[in-house]
Amino acid sequence: MSNRYVVKKIVGALLTLFAVVIFNFFLFRIVDRDPLTKYRGRSKLSLEQRETMIRRMGLSGSKWDQFVAYIKSTLQLDFGRSFDSTRPVLREITDRLPATLILVGVSTVLTICIGLYIGAKAGWARGSRFDRVSTSTTMVLYATPEFFFGMLLLAIVAGRTGWFPTGGLRDVGTNNGFVASLLDRTHHLVLPSLTLTLGYLGSYSLIMRTSMLDTLGEDYLTTARAKGLKESDVMTHHAVPNALLPSVSAIAISFGFVIGGAITTETVFSYPGLGLATADAIRNTDLPMLQALFLVASAAVIFFNLVADLTYGLLDPRIRHSI
Amino acid sequence: MPAVRGVDLEIAPGETLGLAGESGCGKSTLAMALLRLVPPSTQITGSIKLAGQDILTMKPGQLRAARWAQASVVFQGAQHVLNPVRRIGRQIDEAIEAHGSASVSRAGELLDLVGLGARRGDDYPHELSGGQKQRSLIAMALACDPLLLIADEPTTALDVMVQAQILQLLDNIKRERGLSMLFITHDLSVLSHTADRVAVMYAGRIIEVGAGDALLRNSLHPYSKALTASFPIIGDPSSRHQPRGLAGDPPDPNNLPSGCPFHPRCTVAIDECQSVDVQLRHAADDEERSVACVLVGKS
Amino acid sequence: MNDLVPSTSPRDMTWARRKQALARVWRELRHDRAGFVSLVVLLGFGLVALSAPLIADRSLLLAAAGRNNPDLASPSAQFLLGTDDIGRDVLAQLVWGSRVSLFIGIFATVVAVVIGSVVGLVAGYVKGKVATVLLAIDEFFLVVPFLPLAIVLAVILGRSPVTLAIVIGITSWAGSARLVRAQVLTLSERAYVERARALGAGTWQIIFRHVLPGVTPLIIANATLIVPGAILTESTLSFLGFGDRLSPSWGKLLDGAQSSGSITLNAWWYYLPPGLCIIAVVLAFTLFGRALERIFDPRLAGR
Repeated sequence: MSNRYVVKKIVGALLTLFAVVIFNFFLFRIVDRDPLTKYRGRSKLSLEQRETMIRRMGLSGSKWDQFVAYIKSTLQLDFGRSFDSTRPVLREITDRLPATLILVGVSTVLTICIGLYIGAKAGWARGSRFDRVSTSTTMVLYATPEFFFGMLLLAIVAGRTGWFPTGGLRDVGTNNGFVASLLDRTHHLVLPSLTLTLGYLGSYSLIMRTSMLDTLGEDYLTTARAKGLKESDVMTHHAVPNALLPSVSAIAISFGFVIGGAITTETVFSYPGLGLATADAIRNTDLPMLQALFLVASAAVIFFNLVADLTYGLLDPRIRHSI
Repeated sequence: MPAVRGVDLEIAPGETLGLAGESGCGKSTLAMALLRLVPPSTQITGSIKLAGQDILTMKPGQLRAARWAQASVVFQGAQHVLNPVRRIGRQIDEAIEAHGSASVSRAGELLDLVGLGARRGDDYPHELSGGQKQRSLIAMALACDPLLLIADEPTTALDVMVQAQILQLLDNIKRERGLSMLFITHDLSVLSHTADRVAVMYAGRIIEVGAGDALLRNSLHPYSKALTASFPIIGDPSSRHQPRGLAGDPPDPNNLPSGCPFHPRCTVAIDECQSVDVQLRHAADDEERSVACVLVGKS
Repeated sequence: MNDLVPSTSPRDMTWARRKQALARVWRELRHDRAGFVSLVVLLGFGLVALSAPLIADRSLLLAAAGRNNPDLASPSAQFLLGTDDIGRDVLAQLVWGSRVSLFIGIFATVVAVVIGSVVGLVAGYVKGKVATVLLAIDEFFLVVPFLPLAIVLAVILGRSPVTLAIVIGITSWAGSARLVRAQVLTLSERAYVERARALGAGTWQIIFRHVLPGVTPLIIANATLIVPGAILTESTLSFLGFGDRLSPSWGKLLDGAQSSGSITLNAWWYYLPPGLCIIAVVLAFTLFGRALERIFDPRLAGR
């Protein structure tokens, strides 16, 4: 792939990230009120301690001083302390990051694989029973709030039958052996990732189907048939590779929704990841946490968009050679 | 509504049949139908025989085997007929693979043959110019050694210089391999030195067939006359000063005129033309020529 | 066109043409089964929302209303959908909740469409530096994940329904702006715009009187497809803690159901109805929006 293309995309991603950082700064300074309103234990602080804290949070001095302090601390990954737990925000985030990474990672892989497959088949066999059934189903899936799936799954599967745990990351007391622990964690992962997968399966499938429908009218498909290729080969080698291109872009754009879904899904299943941390931070108006989580979420989306852009470059030779 | 009606054509081995007519007369539909490449909802009646076998009655497996191996197509509009995300070499190879044998260097040989060079096989379609794309299409069409090459407007949208090169290439190939060709075009000047025989189509019907040179110099059907008259003849300066166009538009296939489809635009139409739809019949003094006109073959 | 109004006023002719266009849309909608059914469903929900006071009294939403009732009681003659965790009538909350959910969904869409259309119109017509800046801002809002942004904005700006609607609108306008801009770019090449320019019309005049009418069908179709997203976002935000328990939306009901453990307690009447209502309304808006898209852009027919 052209180096210029890769560099251009990476620089773009970094610039966007920087814009988010700046935006973050201004966002939290819209409201001027006592920044320590929600800090637990504030009544026990002396005046000096208060001032020190405010200074540490970068909220004293002129706006420019504050800005510089903010940039410095962000680059050092110092996001202050959580209002709720009083532990450093960075620590809170790194503690919970792996759990969310696994959840979102597994779900995204499943959603992409299953969604693209269903969408491609439905679009190719347009009007067939498979198409009609799968499209109606995916439209209903698309209309459902993903946390509602979680609630239904909990009600049906976990509550009544007890096959799956109703929440958490693992059962306390199952620390004997790596395999047992792994199985246990997987057991806890099933329902949340199923929820998240179902939540976005609909939109990815519909995106791919539309893309496939657009590709159906292309002349090179006729050429392929004229050469004596089987229909399945025409679809796999000619239609799908071209239909993937707009799908990749559309999927990249919708990744922001998956992040949102992680927040609500973790809430439903009390899954201790960044999503649950966000929900808690909302309830406690934990500003430092919210600020940092917003930055992390944005960085994740920017990163995923970068990956999507680079993937697009891999898939479409016209883009690779032009820039 | 029938897009094409009552077509009865034969192409001998090694012969080039030119198929001429204005846009929308059904030439491309006819070409696509030869390999059953028209949309599934289209009905084809009659028989299409390639090397003795009827294409229309073949089962899907037989049809796929026959495609490209008995007859192949050089499609119109090189721009969109190639898969943009696959290398040229691969697209040629897959035709060969679909028919069983796979030879490593075959794509390269074919590309050499058409003057592109084997290394072009690694390129993607967007890296080729219009003329180069056309050559690659020809290379691809020869991949399975077909008996018949269907060339659908192979030189339209190309520069004149490139046109000449492509025509020369097709000529060489045809002679070296004894290929039959169905050369479809709206540009008669191209047919004058490529085609052995010419068929003229109008509103989905063949209205005149005959030996190429004779037909182009001396057409018998009023429409063919008007068509050939629109093209100036090199070597005959007077023809440049009297280009004669044809008034009116081709008819709407859903709303064909009664009787002969050409009669509304015909300058020599008689009363009978409105009600009688003439079939092709031999011209009086020329056994090789067939014309679908009331006025021809009467004497 | 066979009913040319026998009046010479250009304004009359424009309105006659618009009425004809509207009639055509209505005609085609009647034949589009999915579109027509979803329109009926939407009107049904709208009717229920408007007649909420007739179905259940507003006081039933207050915490006090539930004091004498059994908590999490299953459906009965008195409480058609049972009671919630503090004894309030679920049906009453569902009906009044439709008001809040629909209001926020539609108002948020209006905000998003207005911002998006203005940005799209200006960026598409004016081009140049202004457009570059606007597009950069648009790109920014497309990249930033909408839910974290909505959460942060809601925390900062407040939790009232109007604020929530504005917040959702702010996170949703970016997509429309792109669509509008693309359409404006196509339209501004058209002859009638050049003519208006040649005749000396001002920029804003051209934008609003010539370009805007051409873009309006697209804006409307797009708007109907933004509403479902807005409703889903509102339900998510309410579920996460925003919104008002005493004037609940469907999302808020789901939050109440979740946090009161009604799932494990099997109180299906508490969490099923609001969820199903959300699905129904979102699906109806989506199908209706697609039908409109098909009618306005015949090329999309057959999806």
